[in-house]
Amino acid sequence: MEWADFLQSFANGLLIAGLYAAVTLGLTLVLGVMGIVNFAHGEMVMLGAYNTFWLFTLLGIDPLLSIALSGLLLFFIGLLIYRFTIRPILNDPPINQLLLTLGISIFLQNLAMILWKTDSRSVITSYSGMSLSLGAVNVGMTRLLTFLIAVGLTLFLLFFLYKARPGKAMRAVSENNTASWLIGINVQKTYLLAFGVACALAGASGALVSTIMYTYPMVGFKLSLKAFCILVLGGLGNIPGALFGSLILGLTESFVGTYVPQGSGWAEGISFILIMVILIIKPTGLVGTRRE
Amino acid sequence: MNRSFSWKKVLFLVLLLLFALWFPRLVDAYFLHLAVTFFLAMILASSWDILARTGQVSVGQAGLFGIGAYAAALLFKWVHLSPVLGMLAGGGVSVVVAALLGYLTLRLRGIYFSITTIAFAEALSVIWLMTPAVTGGAMGLSTPPLFGGDRQQAYYLILGILIFCVGVVWMIEATRLNFAFTAIRENEEVANVMGINPTRYKVLAFMISAFFTGFAGGFYSHYNTYIIPYEVFGLGISIACLVMPIFGGLYTIAGPLIGTMIVKVIEEYLRVTVSYGHQIAYGLILILVVLFMPDGVMGIWRNKILPLFKRL
Repeated sequence: MEWADFLQSFANGLLIAGLYAAVTLGLTLVLGVMGIVNFAHGEMVMLGAYNTFWLFTLLGIDPLLSIALSGLLLFFIGLLIYRFTIRPILNDPPINQLLLTLGISIFLQNLAMILWKTDSRSVITSYSGMSLSLGAVNVGMTRLLTFLIAVGLTLFLLFFLYKARPGKAMRAVSENNTASWLIGINVQKTYLLAFGVACALAGASGALVSTIMYTYPMVGFKLSLKAFCILVLGGLGNIPGALFGSLILGLTESFVGTYVPQGSGWAEGISFILIMVILIIKPTGLVGTRRE
Repeated sequence: MNRSFSWKKVLFLVLLLLFALWFPRLVDAYFLHLAVTFFLAMILASSWDILARTGQVSVGQAGLFGIGAYAAALLFKWVHLSPVLGMLAGGGVSVVVAALLGYLTLRLRGIYFSITTIAFAEALSVIWLMTPAVTGGAMGLSTPPLFGGDRQQAYYLILGILIFCVGVVWMIEATRLNFAFTAIRENEEVANVMGINPTRYKVLAFMISAFFTGFAGGFYSHYNTYIIPYEVFGLGISIACLVMPIFGGLYTIAGPLIGTMIVKVIEEYLRVTVSYGHQIAYGLILILVVLFMPDGVMGIWRNKILPLFKRL
């Protein structure tokens, strides 16, 4: 029985880690390529979740299809945000980029409250109640699908970064933007695309979020905090680190939820404790070296 | 920085002070209450700016505010500590917490600090909700009205703290601390080479900022007679703490005060008109200030309005 509990928490942690990874990847991409921590990243996830919820509620569009639709919608929103707010201040001191993205985040949170109230919404599909049993472990269908799609998104991003030309350009720019410019890479365009892709990933993860969590105006902010924790765990702006950090956070939350009294309440605070622990023992993150 | 001593300035300040002292006799209870909330917000704005002078952005001032608020309320509940001493204790506890948090995170790049402060306030809210036996949990804590509900005394107390806070900012500007803070903000490596220990000064700035923020929290808890974790540790307070000084103009004495006045007026108006999400104004102001008015209201005053008068 105890062994079964352990396996079940492990499975739950693993599944949620997939979603965390999908949420964090876009944040990592923008940080790695442009050196900006996008505080509004969580709000992109929130918009993707609301988009999925409304498409499902009003038009009956399946959340699985909305993954692509939310991704596409947020891609264009991302391009607009980049063009009109971030591009003008790219060469400003980092404090301005932080404050700008924080401003966008607060603006969108409150806009969502004004437009859609603070109610918690959920998407319940025909397959929401189904689950798979693997021995002693029960896995909800939507959670499993969410995990698989999140892994798919991650693989897609890795493939894009390592095989496709624009993706390679992003990696080059993240290494050294002046040298990239010298060899003929359009740095501005690369930034634009990176920001768009990051927002698209956030939108797609938002669609996933809407199926397994409540959708409400602050959901993006809560996920942002977890994503920040993952960034610190993995070392700022590095993708393998982000994946590893997601796994650690997902599993820790799940085990705390199972083994600590009133654990599900405490689990919400885990991300902060992990941040502090990492900053004390190894501020450069658990894997890799520090980026300057 | 030319601190020219002018009689005009002194006269203006004396008149302002006399007006502030006379104010409670001129207005009704509502405006007196409004003045108290404005002064409270001004303290938060000025103390955020003290830390910002070292180039650090705290997105979790609510953590320090909430600690101050709860320290005051809990000390009253446990040992019936007098409210004003409780507020001082609130400031003191916040200073200790800021020293620990600052020591851990201010050694690192600025962004780590911002991320940690935002998580810090959220974590405190979780801790408070999860330990209701000690903290009162989601139900919050209540205290009897401050000075038996005498708003005038509360007004003079908060006015005194505001003057103290502005005085400290003025001291910082007038002493070598200002050079240290500015050097760190402009370039930490260079400051280090010049013999300024960046971490030490950043932690010092954070501690000063924490004292006033914690004290304000303590005042709020006694003045409001009721606090809940969602509010005192909430993102709303952290955001207000940074938007007001940024809008007014950073690294100035008057900027945070003027910014607070304008932002609070906008907020009071929106609070009446929209039920949820009146903080949308804060987000919008932040975006517009960063994009179009980099030095806030003070910058516009200095660069656009003053030259008009000079030409006359």
